Amino acid sequence: MESIKGNYVIRFALSFRFQHVLVFTSMIILALTGFALMYHNTSWGKMLIGLEGGFVMRGRIHRVFAIVLIFTVLWHFLQVIFTEKSHKEFLKLRPELNDFKDFIMTLKYYLRISSEKARFEKFNFIQKFQYWGVIAGTFIMGVTGIILWFKDFSMAALPKWVMDVTLVVHGYEGTLAFLVLFFWHQYNAHLNPDVFPMDMTWINGKMSLKDLQERHPLEYEKLMHE
Amino acid sequence: MKKVLKLILLLTIFLWSEQGYAAELKNGAELKKCTTCHGKPGFSKVLENGKILDLYIDEKILRNSVHGKKECTDCHVDITEIPHRGEIKAVNCSKQCHFIGNTSGAPQTDKYIEYKNSVHGKEFFAGNKKAPVCQDCHGTHNIFKPSNGLSQVSRHNLPRTCAKCHLNIYIEYKESIHGVMFEKGNKDVPVCTNCHGEHNIRRPEDPLSTVSKGNTAFACSKCHSKVEIMKKYGIETEQVETFKESFHGVASEFGSKTVANCASCHGVHDIRPSTDQKSSINKANIPKTCGKCHPGANINFAKGKIHVNPKVKEAGIIYYVSQGFKWLTILTMVGLVTHIFLDLYRRKARSKETE
Repeated sequence: MESIKGNYVIRFALSFRFQHVLVFTSMIILALTGFALMYHNTSWGKMLIGLEGGFVMRGRIHRVFAIVLIFTVLWHFLQVIFTEKSHKEFLKLRPELNDFKDFIMTLKYYLRISSEKARFEKFNFIQKFQYWGVIAGTFIMGVTGIILWFKDFSMAALPKWVMDVTLVVHGYEGTLAFLVLFFWHQYNAHLNPDVFPMDMTWINGKMSLKDLQERHPLEYEKLMHE
Repeated sequence: MKKVLKLILLLTIFLWSEQGYAAELKNGAELKKCTTCHGKPGFSKVLENGKILDLYIDEKILRNSVHGKKECTDCHVDITEIPHRGEIKAVNCSKQCHFIGNTSGAPQTDKYIEYKNSVHGKEFFAGNKKAPVCQDCHGTHNIFKPSNGLSQVSRHNLPRTCAKCHLNIYIEYKESIHGVMFEKGNKDVPVCTNCHGEHNIRRPEDPLSTVSKGNTAFACSKCHSKVEIMKKYGIETEQVETFKESFHGVASEFGSKTVANCASCHGVHDIRPSTDQKSSINKANIPKTCGKCHPGANINFAKGKIHVNPKVKEAGIIYYVSQGFKWLTILTMVGLVTHIFLDLYRRKARSKETE
């Protein structure tokens, strides 16, 4: 997947970049339409519902973009399972013991216990955490959302209290995902002094060799070795 | 000859009455003169349809009523002679005294305008002969203040007054928990007007009705959200709040016409406690009640509390799951924000080192 072209590498394939756009647009719209319902009794909640074309339309928009998100994730999985190139890429996202070691090392570095920085491969532990966070979050939101969507079927199949738990989980997991993405991912992809105002990789897929050497030295060395 | 005699007799009566009573009647007939006839128990007349119209007036009741100081012709203005002939018009309370700005001492209210816009008023003005006018509820010669137990519209008598027309509903109400408690003399349970209003009663389909789709929860909450009333009976007061937060409540708030409100599940005039086997919310009846809107509803609908508040311990697993998620969210965010600050701190420290 990785290929050196001049002084940069392509590290984010076009299909993945496209999936990333679909995921974040649908997630933003899902958050806006979801929070509008969750906070319907506040003035801004009412304003959001108004902007979304009223109560019924809000629900429709929410479900349409839920389908977009679910299909994007399904497409992604089909791709990483059935295409060799993407599967290799996917394997690089496997959590390993090394990630934990990197985490401890980074903590030591932050706390100035050590001046040695952890040396990362193509994906560092933060990126893996975000990836699997999105996967887990989408899975939970998707399952609970579908249960709530087909309410008559689910209510007949599940006890009432399970429905209540489902609703609570859908609300809290949505909030958690939103907060993580809004604060932490913003920092990692935009506000972080390394990339401010924005890491362009999500658009052009590129990373300069200099940045690669600094941020993902093991990956850089592997490429150079080849 | 007979004819001539008859005529003379009639003329005599006519002239005599004209001189004897008519002049006085114009300045308000004294009750005594009217009671010459109307004060006799059993004084009545047979109507064309064969019904007997009782024309007896109990002087004692009239004198004790709110109109005790009035004379007969103050209300019956079309009677100018005794004996009176022809048809006597019904008294029009709103035109004669009961309007704002009246000088006759009647209360200054615009209840009449409320009545005009009510279902009763609209039907009356549309020509419905069965629609009630003031007297049908308040009485005629026996009008008392509603706080007086003798009044037809006093709390104690009200359900039976409405039942004069709404008999089937009264029978339902009598068997409901509200009706049963009312019969026992309970002062907290609602009678008809507590939910429906008084002069402003509208059809439930009218959005302005106090019991319309959108207003029902408010009508019930007038009592059911008050701790000081509900604690006496061991009824939870959170029901209204939990309804508002539920899918039903939120959809209702945003104008859904089909979503359930309190009455959809609990019933209307036939509300019974959930422990009552006949209650629509008895566990055994839940599938049927929910099934009115949710096809395929089964006993799973009854497994768990309906009015559930995830923020209180009584919610059981729902409470613990939401608490778990709350702390997971807080701790995750504390961790991630700490990471941001540590990262920034280390960058700053490093840039100082390299300077």
